[in-house]
Amino acid sequence: MDLSLFSDPVYLLQNLIDGLSRGALYAVYAMGLTLIFGVLDIINLAHAATFMWCAFAGWMAMAVFGLSLPAGLLVSMLAGGCIALMLEYVAFRPLRREGSDRLSTMISSIGVSLIMVSIAEAVFGVETRRFPNTVLSPRPFHLGGENGVSISPAQILILCASVLLMALLGYFIRRTRMGKAIRAIAASQKAARLLGIHVEAVIAVTFVTAGALAGAAGILVGLLTNNIVPDMGGQIQLRGLAVVILGGMGNMEGAVLGGLILGVIETFTIAYMPSGSDVKDAVVFLILFLILFVRPNGIMGRKSADRA
Amino acid sequence: MRRSLFLALMTLTGATLGSFATAALPPTIKLGAVESLTGDNASYGIPIRKGIELAVAEINASTMLGKSKIVLTVMDDKADKQEGISVFTKLINEEKVCAIIGPTLSSTAFAADPIAQKAGVPILGTSTTALGITAMGDYIFRDSLPQASVIPGTLSKVIAKHGVKTASMLFESTNEYSKSEADVFKTSLQKLGVNLVASESYSKGDSDFRTQLRKLNARKPDILVFCSLIGEAIPVLQQAREVGIKQPIVGGNGFNNPNVLKNAAEAAEGLIVGSSWFIESTVPKSKQFVAAFNKHYGSDPDQFAAQGYAGAYIIATAIKNAGSAERAAIRNELAKIKNLDTALGTFSFDANRDPLHDSVPLIVQKGKYTLFR
Repeated sequence: MDLSLFSDPVYLLQNLIDGLSRGALYAVYAMGLTLIFGVLDIINLAHAATFMWCAFAGWMAMAVFGLSLPAGLLVSMLAGGCIALMLEYVAFRPLRREGSDRLSTMISSIGVSLIMVSIAEAVFGVETRRFPNTVLSPRPFHLGGENGVSISPAQILILCASVLLMALLGYFIRRTRMGKAIRAIAASQKAARLLGIHVEAVIAVTFVTAGALAGAAGILVGLLTNNIVPDMGGQIQLRGLAVVILGGMGNMEGAVLGGLILGVIETFTIAYMPSGSDVKDAVVFLILFLILFVRPNGIMGRKSADRA
Repeated sequence: MRRSLFLALMTLTGATLGSFATAALPPTIKLGAVESLTGDNASYGIPIRKGIELAVAEINASTMLGKSKIVLTVMDDKADKQEGISVFTKLINEEKVCAIIGPTLSSTAFAADPIAQKAGVPILGTSTTALGITAMGDYIFRDSLPQASVIPGTLSKVIAKHGVKTASMLFESTNEYSKSEADVFKTSLQKLGVNLVASESYSKGDSDFRTQLRKLNARKPDILVFCSLIGEAIPVLQQAREVGIKQPIVGGNGFNNPNVLKNAAEAAEGLIVGSSWFIESTVPKSKQFVAAFNKHYGSDPDQFAAQGYAGAYIIATAIKNAGSAERAAIRNELAKIKNLDTALGTFSFDANRDPLHDSVPLIVQKGKYTLFR
């Protein structure tokens, strides 16, 4: 540990802000992943490819067609919804009809994911795409003078957008009729069907919601790192799965909490350990392991009956 | 035995009687080039290809090789080790080229060059700078200045100008070029009496470097040193300015790329790089090259184009002196090249098949590389 840096409160606060904004991205990404898991009991490994395509959609909207940032965000989320709906029709529904097990559904999602990445490589090439500086200023705001804590416009956007999305999703799932239907299906598809719920339609809505979340995460990551490439999903894929497990499979609040914890741990590992970047994954997954050791169902996890 | 005697004779006569030797050259000479032509690193590979193609066109239009013509096959290694191995194998076994120029990246060279060494095919790297490239074997040459010959010179000028006492460094721990460059920077800083107060790394696939950069800056170093390839070089520079780094930044060879200036824009202002070539060089061959490149492609060449262009001429000179397109003969003549006039200046190989000439420190001012004084 690099002890001399510990005594610097500005450095600590700075890393907390960076960690929380990094974590907020993981949370937005993982919410979509855990939503699908909560409702259908499947891990959608094509979520990362959806995320990547959305980042490109947002990039096209803003860098090629010159749309504004809110419009770009909307395009990206719409694209996510459409892609996820397509995934449901192509990769998940046919298998569900056949009554396939969870493993084959997962393999199917890996397959679609590979195809989606290959198409992106064919269409966009493998070089990095970047947003023009006019989309979002790179100049940070300073709190407490030049040597104080700084926060970039991208980070502010990420924090605001993620809080808003979490609140909206919470309201949607807890308060609306559709949300209640989603939860009913999560509890039992058979019972929901007997109650007259149009199960297939509700599942489609679930996919669209999850896709829109992937879309939001895609464009926000794109704005934060200014680095959009076809293989950008690889890193967040692993983080997202870790967050879902850490928070409790299928648990929405858990995903948010897990995402923030992971983001802060990762940032602090780099910030306070010598050559922290080389060991960040090891530390992140060691802590994941330790938490699961104490709470096998994740931080907010309950027994599988009561999810979403 | 008989063959090698014949070769030795040929080389001997070739060296003394140039015009007689070229008469013995086959009508077509197959030359290979392996460059990164897709992906981010294409911004190094494409200028090199342009440089090589321009040189080959000039050579074929001249009588340098008598009536013989060079047939150039350029293949894409996609900046990937496996792909590099496969295109090297193809050029050596199927195309039966007499020599290969490339590959673009040191990491690919470490994977693919041993294949050429084993097959006895001369390699001329025109952009590989890592430690140990030519140490892989006696068939491996390069005209790109190794890090160890660029970095100490650049650093001492920066140190003299800015009174540097401390430095901190960022590099990619998953790339051979970047790791080697970081090692060279570290030793050079030590030798020059500068205290390296922090050194941080990132991995392939990382795109958010703010935490590392803030950590480096927390030590308040006098200068920062970045060793990155183009994909990361741009966001690293942008994020460095974003986290408030205002000190001079010294970039490794990966920053010798006009795309850095184009994409990082104002974040690149003040960036210092050690270069093997400068567009305003007054060397006659260099002036000719810049004019020809502009005429042919309608744009200015960069360091990598110059190294590719010079590389093709160096190989052609070896072929001419050997009077043969035999791989072993070309290798022997390459090793003898001394004081050759090239676009890079007066060019010689040292005993380790590395180039011997001075580097030029450059600084980015108003979006252009200019001489650092």
